[in-house]
Amino acid sequence: MKVLAAVIFSISLSTSAYATETDASAIIKAAIDNYRGLSSYSEASMTIHRPDWERTVSMKVWTEGLDKSLVRITAPSKDKGSGTLLIDNNMWSYAPKINRVIKIPSSMSNQSWMGSDFSNNDIARADDIIDQYTHTLIKTTPSANGNIYLIQSIPHEDAPVVWGKEMLTINHQHVLLKHEFYDQDNVLVKTLSASDIQLIDGKHVSLVQRMQKTGHDNEWTEFRSSLVKFNIKLNKNTFTLLNLRNPR
Amino acid sequence: MATNWRFAWRNIWRNKRRTVLTMCAIGFGAALIVFSVGLQLGQYDLMISGTTRVYHGLVQVQKQDYLDDARMRDSIPDAQSLGQQIRQQTGLKNVTVRANGFALVSSAERTYGVAVVGIEPEHEPDVSIIPGLVKEGRYLSQNDALEIVIGKSLAKNLKVKIGDELTIMGSGRDGSIAATILPIVGIFESAVRELDRSFVQMPINTFQDTFSMGSHAHAVVVYHKDADLLEPVKQQLQALISTRNQNLVALGWDQVQPGIKESIELDYSSGWIMYIVLIFVITFSIMNTFLMSVLERTREFGIMLALGYKPFNIGKLVMMEAFILAVFALIIGTAIGVAVNYYYLINGLTFEGMEEIAAQYNMPSTITPQISVESSLLGPAIILIFTLLAALYPAMKIRKLQPVEAMRHI
Repeated sequence: MKVLAAVIFSISLSTSAYATETDASAIIKAAIDNYRGLSSYSEASMTIHRPDWERTVSMKVWTEGLDKSLVRITAPSKDKGSGTLLIDNNMWSYAPKINRVIKIPSSMSNQSWMGSDFSNNDIARADDIIDQYTHTLIKTTPSANGNIYLIQSIPHEDAPVVWGKEMLTINHQHVLLKHEFYDQDNVLVKTLSASDIQLIDGKHVSLVQRMQKTGHDNEWTEFRSSLVKFNIKLNKNTFTLLNLRNPR
Repeated sequence: MATNWRFAWRNIWRNKRRTVLTMCAIGFGAALIVFSVGLQLGQYDLMISGTTRVYHGLVQVQKQDYLDDARMRDSIPDAQSLGQQIRQQTGLKNVTVRANGFALVSSAERTYGVAVVGIEPEHEPDVSIIPGLVKEGRYLSQNDALEIVIGKSLAKNLKVKIGDELTIMGSGRDGSIAATILPIVGIFESAVRELDRSFVQMPINTFQDTFSMGSHAHAVVVYHKDADLLEPVKQQLQALISTRNQNLVALGWDQVQPGIKESIELDYSSGWIMYIVLIFVITFSIMNTFLMSVLERTREFGIMLALGYKPFNIGKLVMMEAFILAVFALIIGTAIGVAVNYYYLINGLTFEGMEEIAAQYNMPSTITPQISVESSLLGPAIILIFTLLAALYPAMKIRKLQPVEAMRHI
């Protein structure tokens, strides 16, 4: 998931042997390669803000590599036990009140995830950023602690991506600070920005991710991690439909 | 004055064949335009009544801003009581309340994203023809029944039949997860692709429970078969909802379905481009006729001038001739056009392959032309104006005539 992927990016980039590499795609590729096999557990809350209301959902998230994740809602009680399972680009949703699992069809990938400003696509498609885009290092801005890189990622013509262009801002700690999504007409649609960078298990992580749609200043979704652990041992049936349906 | 008219009348019949041919051109043009415009307007009437009758109603009450991006939160509080109030206080009979959402519906085999609508089973048939289009099973029974009706194509795609259960999963009004399982009680077939493929209906209270809507809904839909009452009905509703102070708006079908209105306007204006071209052709043939008739009478006009006739009066005479000729031709042409329209109004007009196109616009496959002041008189009126403009040039030429020179003209 992209929210998690942003966390992951930051980690993998910081541990990357290519820290001095200035070639954009090499930075990103190394980052992803480095992350393969890494498992994580985190507790997070997601706040959906609208001018007239706000809603916060708490969840637990397990990930393994970039292509497996499980999200389970812990609060509010109305949605407790609901979950989302992601394996590669496949996505399943579980609702305890009807005790059914639904596979989200790929045609729904631009629908909002749990009513937030993140789309299913944002949640699911994380490592596509490596193979399906052409990356260019646009700018290197020196700062007091190190460089800040601005990378332009343009999807290949045949990539199943709705965006025309994505801009990634990565700081000297290799934390993804900002991820901007442009449509086919090169108009900024939404921006994911990261803050509250912490050192956890030897890796730099941004604990707060905020997705903001352009032109709707008062509408955003913030994903805030309160507890993050890496390299934990996961039960081998963590990422199965059975586990999605039967929470421990 | 009367003498002048008689003079003009006699003049135009001095060359019968030319006059009749010119009148034929004008009359044929008028008949063609009257028929085409009548047909077009008739077609638009059908598109409008199709749009309002199938589903969208004539006027809808919605929360302000709902129309723009259909956010579930932009809903009408106590919507059913508003519906009841409209029924009781306005004399409008065909009123129903709807709540709209989006959800994934899933059978044992497949999942699709569809529009989910909560409706009042008792009132929906007054507004929409969908309840009457249920081909298998039955329509929804009561406001809180746990049941669902779906379109035929969707049923086929989901591989389900009457009695099968569908899982519905989406987001509720409060952002919570909305999920329920409902048995299919009916399958409708509307021939509108979009409805048959991605549209399901459930009773309104069932919808409100599932999507955490409380007593809210998204639209109070009012139907009236006379589309010309759009503005009065809108104003009546606007007055009523303004007392509620809930930021509600009354929207006409043309606002709810701007695409239909736009395609009507586009079609009508492109039609008129054709008519204007036709009118231009007619105009030039008339100009030719009158130029001929003026030039061949140069000698005659010279004598008239010599006798003390003012050039202005001779010009007026020519204009009168043009007017008489055009009006006669237009009366005959318009009568023919209206007669053809009337024939098809009674008998209907069907084109080969019309059904498919018609279905896209919620129209029946038989067109009946409209007979109205606009369809019958607008075209002929424009032709008359152009005819007089065409006669103006030859008439103006007379002013330059010198009596002596003119009389020597052969």
